[in-house]
Amino acid sequence: MEEENENKSIEKYLNEALFDCVKCHRCNLVCPIADHRVSQSAFGLNRAMYYSLKSNVFNEDLRNSIYSCTTCGKCEDVCKLVAAALPLREIFEKAREFLLVDKMVGPMPEQVTVLKNMHVRGNPWGNPPHERTKWAEGLGIPLASKDNHVDVLYFVGCASSYDAQGQKIAKNLSKILKKAGVKFGILENEVCSGHEAKRMGETGLFAYLSEANVEMFKNAEIQHIVTGDPHSFYSFTHEYPEQENGLKVQHYSQFLNELIDKGKLKLSKRVNKKVTYHDPCYLGRHSEIFEDPRNLIQKVPGVTLVEMENARADSDCCGMGGGRMWMEPPQGLLSSQAIAERRVHQALATGAEVLLTACPFCNITLNDAVKSLEKEDSMKVMDITEILAVALG
Amino acid sequence: MTVNLEDLAKDLKNIVGEEHAFSNLVERTTYAEAIMPFDVEEADLPDIVVHPANTQEISKVLQYANKHEIPVTIFGSGTSNMLGSKPKHRGITLSTERLNFIQIDEDSQWFECGVGAKTGDVIRELGKLGYFLPIQTQIGSSIGGAVSINTTGHLTDNIFGRPVNNVLGLEIVLPTGEIIQTGSKSLRRAVGWDLTRIFVGAEGVLGVITKVRMVLRPMPEIVDVVGFFKTAEQIGHAMALMYKKKVPLPLDGEFTAEKGCEWGFKKYGVDAPKGAAMFIARCMGRTAEEASKNARELVELLTSAGAIESYVLDDNEIREKLWAVREKGISRGRDLGLSGFVPIEVNPPLPRLSEAMTELKHISEGRKDLIGETESFLYGHVGADSLHCVFWWPHDWSNEKAKQLVMELWDLENKLQLKYEGVAGDWGQIPYRLPFYRERYGETSYEIIKKMKQLFDPNNILNRGNVEGEI
Repeated sequence: MEEENENKSIEKYLNEALFDCVKCHRCNLVCPIADHRVSQSAFGLNRAMYYSLKSNVFNEDLRNSIYSCTTCGKCEDVCKLVAAALPLREIFEKAREFLLVDKMVGPMPEQVTVLKNMHVRGNPWGNPPHERTKWAEGLGIPLASKDNHVDVLYFVGCASSYDAQGQKIAKNLSKILKKAGVKFGILENEVCSGHEAKRMGETGLFAYLSEANVEMFKNAEIQHIVTGDPHSFYSFTHEYPEQENGLKVQHYSQFLNELIDKGKLKLSKRVNKKVTYHDPCYLGRHSEIFEDPRNLIQKVPGVTLVEMENARADSDCCGMGGGRMWMEPPQGLLSSQAIAERRVHQALATGAEVLLTACPFCNITLNDAVKSLEKEDSMKVMDITEILAVALG
Repeated sequence: MTVNLEDLAKDLKNIVGEEHAFSNLVERTTYAEAIMPFDVEEADLPDIVVHPANTQEISKVLQYANKHEIPVTIFGSGTSNMLGSKPKHRGITLSTERLNFIQIDEDSQWFECGVGAKTGDVIRELGKLGYFLPIQTQIGSSIGGAVSINTTGHLTDNIFGRPVNNVLGLEIVLPTGEIIQTGSKSLRRAVGWDLTRIFVGAEGVLGVITKVRMVLRPMPEIVDVVGFFKTAEQIGHAMALMYKKKVPLPLDGEFTAEKGCEWGFKKYGVDAPKGAAMFIARCMGRTAEEASKNARELVELLTSAGAIESYVLDDNEIREKLWAVREKGISRGRDLGLSGFVPIEVNPPLPRLSEAMTELKHISEGRKDLIGETESFLYGHVGADSLHCVFWWPHDWSNEKAKQLVMELWDLENKLQLKYEGVAGDWGQIPYRLPFYRERYGETSYEIIKKMKQLFDPNNILNRGNVEGEI
C-alpha cells in the first residue's frame, strides 16, 4: 500500500511538473539525443510522458523515448533561461521509476540483465565479484578495513575495476597516489555505487547498493573517499544517505591538485602536447567541478590546453550517461556513438592531439568514436591520470 | 482521402524511407502539440508523420497527397502561436526538420539554409563569422516558420526590415508537387513581379518553402540602456518621443509594467525605484563607440521623457538581472501558484500606446467572464508598438475551461486590435485571427486570399483548415 501511494505521488509529481512546460522548444537546441525530430529530444520526451499519463497508455514507444535521455541535464540550463525552469532530469528519472516500478514497461530489454547483475554480482557486466580487484594484483595496494586503516579510500567503480580501458585509470591513479605518499587503499568487496541503477529508474536497487557500500565505509572507518568515476562521485555527494555524517568525498582532480599545491606530488617530465578537455556531465554540469580538472592539466609541464566550442557548463554529453551504456537505441533514435562522434568533431576542430577526460564512461565512448571516425592518427583519447602518470617520469 | 491508412503508410515509407515515417501514438501526439495551454485531443492527431530528406522527397509526398486529396500539415518546429501547425483534418504531417543545412557564402554576402534550420542554430553559425540574423523569434523556432509568417519580433523590423526585406530567394514546392525557384543570387533583388513576396508571409498555405536565401547583415555592437518610470504609460509617451526626436532606434525596446516589475525587482534582487515600470533596450552601432553614443542619446531621451532614473548598463550582473525581470516574467504566475498561461498581442499606433497600456493593465479586473478569474500583467516590445498581456490561472482548471478562456481571450484580442486600429504584428493572421482579419480588412480581402489558395492548391491539401479559420 505504501509503495502504491508513493507511485501515485510520482504520477502526481509528473503531471504537475510536465504541465508547467511552456513549449518553447529551446531544450531541443541543446539536447544531445536530438537528431532532427522534435519527438526525439527533451521536449519530445516531456510531451510523450505527459500525454501517456493523460491517456493512461504506457507502451514500448514511450519507454524507448524516456530511456533515450542521457541525463546530461543541458536542457535544464536553457529551461532556466526561459522561466519555466523545469527539473527535466529529475522528471525523466522519475518517469523511468514510474515506468519500471508501477507500469513494468521499463527498463530497456538490454538493461534488465544489467540491473540483475548489479543486484547479484555488484557490477553491471555480471563479472565475478572476486575479480573486482584483479587489476590491482601485484601493485601492492592495501585492502582497507578496520584493522588496516587507510587515510584515503580509493573507490574504483565498476568500469575502472573491470573494463580494460578503465583499469588503466585505476592503475595510473594508484601509481600517482603512491608517488605522492598517500596512505590509501581499496575495498575488497566494493560494489557498484548504484548510480546507473538510479538513472534507469531502479531506485530500490540503488538504495540496496548504497546501503552495502555505506556499511563497508563504516566498517573500514573511512573518512575520506577519492574516486575517478564522476558517476559514483555524484551519487556519494548528492544522493547517498551518509552525506550529512561528514564523509569527505573528492574526485581525483580535486585531490591531486591539493597534493601538487602542497608539494607532495611533483610533475617533472615535460609532455609537449596540445590537449583539449571534455567535461563529464556528472563532474561538470551536475557537480560544478569545472576548474579542478583544468588546473590539473595545466600543471603538466609542456601541455597547452585549448577549449572546445562547448565547454564547462555548456559542454556536450558523450552519450553514455543515463543507462545508455547498456542500451542499443531502437531504430529512429540516435545512437550513443553518433552523439560521441559529434563531440569528437568539436575536439578535432580545436587542433588538439589529445582529448582528455576524467570519467571512464566518457573515455570508453569517446575512444570508440575516434576509432569509428578513423581519426586515431590525429587524436588520442586519454584520462587525465594517463597524462599525469607520464609527467611523473 | 482516397487511400486507406495501411496503404498510406506503405506508400509514404516508399518515398521517405521506413525509418522516416511514423504512425505510432507518441509521434503523432508530439507532432500535433501546439503552444497552447490545452491538451492535444484525438481529433487533432495526424494519421502519419513523415520526415522527407529533401525538396525532391517533399515534391513526391505532395504529388501523392494531391492525387489522393490527403490533407498535409507542414511542421517546422511546432512553435506557432496561431495553431498553424496543428492538423485540422488528420492526414499527413510533413516535417521539414531534416532540411536543416546552413551554408554561408561571404563572397556573395548571403546565406542559404534549409527551412528546418532552427533560428538558434543559424544565429550561432552566423555569429561565428560576425554576422547577425535579423529575425528575433524564439531560438527554438525554425527559419521556415519565421519566413512563412514574415515575422521578426521586437524592433528589428524597423531597422533591418521584415524577412521579406531580407530574403533574396526561395525554393518552393507547390501543393501539386512542382518545384519553383524565386528571387536572385545577387544582392540586387527583383523589382516588379517576384514570387518571393507572395510566399513570404503566406503562412504556409500556398506552397512548402524548402530553402531560404537571405542577405548577410554585420553583427552590430550592442550597449544596453535601462529607464525606470513612475508608470508604464510614461514609457508609451517616451516611445512616441523617441521616434519624433529621431533618436537612433535600438534593436529592441522592451518594457515590463509596474506589477511585473514589483515581482521581478524583488525576485532578482534589483535595486530599482519602488513601484516603477521598466524600459530596457539594446542600443546598436557599427562600432562600440557608436553603440555607446546611441545609448547615451537614448538615456537623454528617456530622462527628458520623465524617467525617474535612466542609465547605460555597464555592469553585467545588473544587466542580466534587469533582463531577467523582463524575460522571465512568466515565472511570476508560477510564484503565485498559477500554472496555465496564455499571452495576447495588441499593436496600437504610437499616439495611443499609453491609452492601450492603461486599459491592458486593468483588463482582467471586474469582469464576469473567465478572464475575470485570471491574474494578468502587461509587458511587451513597446519600441515596436507591440504590447503583450499574459493571463494565468490555476493548475486545477480543466482542459475545457482553459479552452473556453483562450477563446474569450482571442475574442478580447480581436476587439482590442479593432479598437486600436492595429494589426496582428507578431504571430500571423490565420487561423485563429481570421475573425479579426475579416472584420479589419473586409470580405473582399478575405475572398482574395481564398482565391489565391484555390489557384495554388486546387484540392486544398496544404494546411487545410487554416485559411478557413478552423482551430
